[in-house]
Amino acid sequence: MAYAIEVAGLRKSYGPVQAVRDVGFTVRAGEIVALLGPNGAGKTTTLEILEGFRDRDGGFAEVLGLDPGERSSGRELREHTGLVLQDLAVEPYLTVRETIARAAGYYLAPRTTAEVIDLVSLDGQERRKVRTLSGGQKRRLDLALGIIGDPELLFLDEPTTGFDPAARRDAWQVIRQLRSEGTTILLTTHNLEEAQALADRVVVLAAGTVVADGAPDAVGGRDTARASISFALPDGYGIQDLPLPAQAGDGAVVVETSNATRALLELTQWADRNGIVLAGLTVGRPTLEDTYLNLTSPSTTNQGAPARAPGRTTR
Amino acid sequence: MMTAAVTPSPAPPRRRHRSFGLLLHQIRYEQLSFWRNPQSAIFTFVFPVVFITVIGALLGGGGRSSYFGGLSALQYYVPTIAGLSVLASCYGQLTVALALRRQYGILKRVRATPLPAWAYFAGLLAHCVLVSFIDVALIGVVGRLYGTPLPSNWFAVAVTLLVAAACFCGIGVAVASLIANADAAPAVAQLVLFPLLFISGTYMPIHSQMLNRVAGWLPVRPFNEALLGPLVLHAGADWKRLAVVAAWGCAGTVVGVWRFRWTPGSE
Repeated sequence: MAYAIEVAGLRKSYGPVQAVRDVGFTVRAGEIVALLGPNGAGKTTTLEILEGFRDRDGGFAEVLGLDPGERSSGRELREHTGLVLQDLAVEPYLTVRETIARAAGYYLAPRTTAEVIDLVSLDGQERRKVRTLSGGQKRRLDLALGIIGDPELLFLDEPTTGFDPAARRDAWQVIRQLRSEGTTILLTTHNLEEAQALADRVVVLAAGTVVADGAPDAVGGRDTARASISFALPDGYGIQDLPLPAQAGDGAVVVETSNATRALLELTQWADRNGIVLAGLTVGRPTLEDTYLNLTSPSTTNQGAPARAPGRTTR
Repeated sequence: MMTAAVTPSPAPPRRRHRSFGLLLHQIRYEQLSFWRNPQSAIFTFVFPVVFITVIGALLGGGGRSSYFGGLSALQYYVPTIAGLSVLASCYGQLTVALALRRQYGILKRVRATPLPAWAYFAGLLAHCVLVSFIDVALIGVVGRLYGTPLPSNWFAVAVTLLVAAACFCGIGVAVASLIANADAAPAVAQLVLFPLLFISGTYMPIHSQMLNRVAGWLPVRPFNEALLGPLVLHAGADWKRLAVVAAWGCAGTVVGVWRFRWTPGSE
């Protein structure tokens, strides 16, 4: 059993609206996979089916070898999965330590409260009431509650939304540490930099179906896409003087090429011969964000208006 | 790496021990949350005690009268206010707490853990019953200060309170399940309760035969009457009236279980 999550042909409709049409992907044990897609692409519905909060209309879904729609094994499954979701909350009048200790009591083999407080950097806040915590501290408490049961599989729904850049780097560090301890992680995010930094693989959803699945560096043909070389046009030279065809960009000229090595050689040799400096010289590939926007734009997916999941649930 | 398969459950003996531990665990944290929340502690707990204190100060000296059905004012009000405190701590508290916890996602978070549903509800119910027991005890003590003797048939008192508290918890879960918007929960809970308290004679004796007959089939009046005997007249448990309360409790529990949702509702 090499897969922590296996999904195939997943379907879910809300009345006439097909939120999930045909979703299939796998997550190997120990992997971090980012589920990407615009609002209404079917991410939340897919996640909620895998977490056991929603029943599916059809298709195959297995989480840690169990069917998440099967209630009789639900407790078994929740013993080994952790959830950090957007719309979860805790009792406002308990302290941080009490809240974590309360959740620890629900698991057969939890981490210790002290270990988790340390892991999410809430040390020093143990005695504070939850209602007095800042937004960022509450999100850290959410994370603490997600990992207190020492889960094999962790669902993270936009784990760093609302974090400042330093807090985000800290959270990434925690997530990487969890992975290094063997935790499998399925996360959603709207921050493409986050997906690039954390994920071993990204699965892109649009209009209820998977439009791309691969490593962040390769997804959507990123690795084979044309590179662009840009630099400031030297004084006294025009575009037509360059050894390669180029376009005038924003304060710079851009050379698009499928062979960046060759093109760079020609450009630098030309500059050297003429004794000039190519200021601001950079070589770029399409960012994950460029690729993502291209993959999920309505003209690419060629579907109707994306279905937004209404809030109805089955339990 | 290949550890995705789930490990088997522990042996049954440990699980039985664990179930009891889980229940205590739940009650402990419910109690902590309750006593630290000024709103719940004051409205649910302090209000009935203040009420009986004021009534005692106003009417404590009076003897038996036909207006109170041959009872003294305090003999009349100690059971009805004790009943009120059970309604507040079981029905009122559960309705509002469950509706709010569902709306804020607190129930969803509970559902995301391996805590079994029965343990969550048993803990919450035991907590509510515990609060109502303490409240009734305080009301009895205030009544004693104004000259109403403490009950002698403790078994009958305990059985009556336990049956009624469990039943009003069931009704509370039902009403909470039917409320779509938690902001409306306190209003809905009171809207149902307040007229019911009035026609059931909680605040003043009702001398209308017709009203008494109607209220006799609703849950509050039979509960008040079932409390009267054990609490001030040293009588045994009133099984007939408790059966009416229990019937409402069962109906409420059925609706509650049928309609209960853990996740926040739709728009």
